[in-house]
Amino acid sequence: MLRFIFRRTLGAVVILVLLTVVAFLLFFGMPRDPALLMCGKTCTPDALANIHKTLGIDKSIPEQFWIFLQGLFVGRDDFAQGPCPAPCFGYSYHTNENVWSTLIDRLPTTVSLAVGAAFLFLFVGLGSGLLAAWKRGTLIDKTFTGGAMVLSSMQIYFLGPLAMAFLVYQTHLFDQVEYTNFTKNPASWFTGLVIPWAVLSTIFAAQYTRMARSSMIEQLQEEHVRTARAKGMSRSYVFFRYAWRGSLIPIVTIFGIDIGSLLGGAIITEYTFGLPGLGQLAVEAVKFSDLPLLLGVMLFSAAMILLFNIIVDACYAFIDPRVRLS
Amino acid sequence: MTSPTKAEGPGSAVALDPEVASTAETDKGKELVGRSPGQLMWIRFKRDRVGVISACVVVFFFVVGLLAPVISKLYGKDPYTVFADERPDLFDSAGVPLQPNGGISGDFWFGLEPGNGYDVFTKLLYGIRNSLGISVAVTIATVLTGVLLGVMAGYMGGKVDFAVSRVVDFLLAFPAQLFFIASMPVVVSLFVDPKDETPVYVRVVALIAVQWVLGWMSLARILRGTALSLAGREFIEAARVSGASPWRIIRKEVLPNVVTPILVQSTYMLPAFVTAEAGLSFLGVGLVEPTPDWGQMFSKASTELVMQNDITYMFFPGISMIIFIVAFNLLGDSVRDAFDPKTAR
Repeated sequence: MLRFIFRRTLGAVVILVLLTVVAFLLFFGMPRDPALLMCGKTCTPDALANIHKTLGIDKSIPEQFWIFLQGLFVGRDDFAQGPCPAPCFGYSYHTNENVWSTLIDRLPTTVSLAVGAAFLFLFVGLGSGLLAAWKRGTLIDKTFTGGAMVLSSMQIYFLGPLAMAFLVYQTHLFDQVEYTNFTKNPASWFTGLVIPWAVLSTIFAAQYTRMARSSMIEQLQEEHVRTARAKGMSRSYVFFRYAWRGSLIPIVTIFGIDIGSLLGGAIITEYTFGLPGLGQLAVEAVKFSDLPLLLGVMLFSAAMILLFNIIVDACYAFIDPRVRLS
Repeated sequence: MTSPTKAEGPGSAVALDPEVASTAETDKGKELVGRSPGQLMWIRFKRDRVGVISACVVVFFFVVGLLAPVISKLYGKDPYTVFADERPDLFDSAGVPLQPNGGISGDFWFGLEPGNGYDVFTKLLYGIRNSLGISVAVTIATVLTGVLLGVMAGYMGGKVDFAVSRVVDFLLAFPAQLFFIASMPVVVSLFVDPKDETPVYVRVVALIAVQWVLGWMSLARILRGTALSLAGREFIEAARVSGASPWRIIRKEVLPNVVTPILVQSTYMLPAFVTAEAGLSFLGVGLVEPTPDWGQMFSKASTELVMQNDITYMFFPGISMIIFIVAFNLLGDSVRDAFDPKTAR
């Protein structure tokens, strides 16, 4: 088991290193002059020369990459803005702030959004999926599958503004969506995030309903499940003890991928509701062509996704004894 | 080789009673008709009512997209006219249409856009046209790439397979949406100087390129698996033994056998590309005003001006996109069922 996790971690590290190379090349190697991109439409030669110097673009690409890697592991102190301890992603060109501390600063918003929504959509989605499978062929099943079909085709950029317009602007039932730190005021943390959670989890829950239903129905046709039923065990016991466990595997896989990418920043949700998380940071970085910040967000997100992939693999072994034995 | 039973078929049904004879005749005829898998699929598909209806809806959207210039010519307006300047009497000081329900009237069927006052009907038509055009281009590009690399990897095996599989694994680890928005400015800057105004076609090309690079992997992975299992089958071996070149085998033996997954996957991929493209435009990195785009209408709909005053505008892009995506997904399910009746929903 430990060896399995170790091997997976090693694979993830290799991918992360390769990803760093590709992302670095994309941002600093591919444009003819990255400084010009960052400088924007009102660029003066002085400002351009300044960016050239601070970015170190006068050096060759491998040299730049080496300096960047050094910064990641040991830190750098050649920035005009001040020292940059490891892990150093440099300083933002737009706000002049340390990229790493900006990331850490934005992380709680993203984590709050992801964890709250994940709780909601996992329970609602699995619950309604199981209910639909249990009542297969009835009106309940048809309503749930039909509803899930339509809801999973909804887009956050439609449902989000719609919910805000109805609940906040037109009827004033809810507070304006905003992020308050949990430690500062738990109550307004909750009320400020209710709508984003609900919107994000509506779409996800619909997908989980469909998945849980089909996976459960598939499991109920398995031979060991039929045997258990033939032995005379009650329908509910077989349903929850035998089929349920097997149906979890595909759901855990997707859940791991989803939570990983949500923790890397739910870009559209955060942008729709104006929540200052990692996703919105990425959009801001793109708008101002802030390459160091963009590189930082991208690597951070990728690391999150890979981390959760490993956790999913470890979970398999926990759920499915066959994985543990092999 | 011709089968003797087939040749004898019609002639053997000779009977005295004409009624019995005719039923026997048609029964026999039905049994003996040779149908290609494509025809079988078509017959099964035609029987699926949901599939046919959703296919009609999808075709309707494509026709609307294709005929957008014709329709708007008949309708007499275009999506670029700023009615806030042309007809200021229709708007209040904030730029919201004065008439109820977003300014819907006989002149403006879907109302007027708050703010600039574009005509919503033509804007939606052209938006659908542009979004679908980009998504179709992305689908074609990704399918071609996926087929080429996937079939090659699966059929050839060895080093080619290893290389393609590693690239697929690697690209799947990319945070896709983040990569899309992050690489847009970089790709655009390859074509134009950042100081200049970006032409529309450059944005379109960049949108297609960015989605193409991260879009082909899932199809390639599926086709690799299919081609791998086909490569060991007898008919492929027979072709190889009789001296067919690898290119001929891939073209004549392997490709006809992977048409099913290609068709099924592309009906699932296209709506995903539509929403991804719309998402990019929503975030402001795709097509920008005044070029009409489905996704960009959503970003207009999420402004406070719309949410606070009149939300009618929001529903036109929203509802039309839901109908399109639902119809396309149902169509995908029907196509899959028609090809392979064993995998029931």
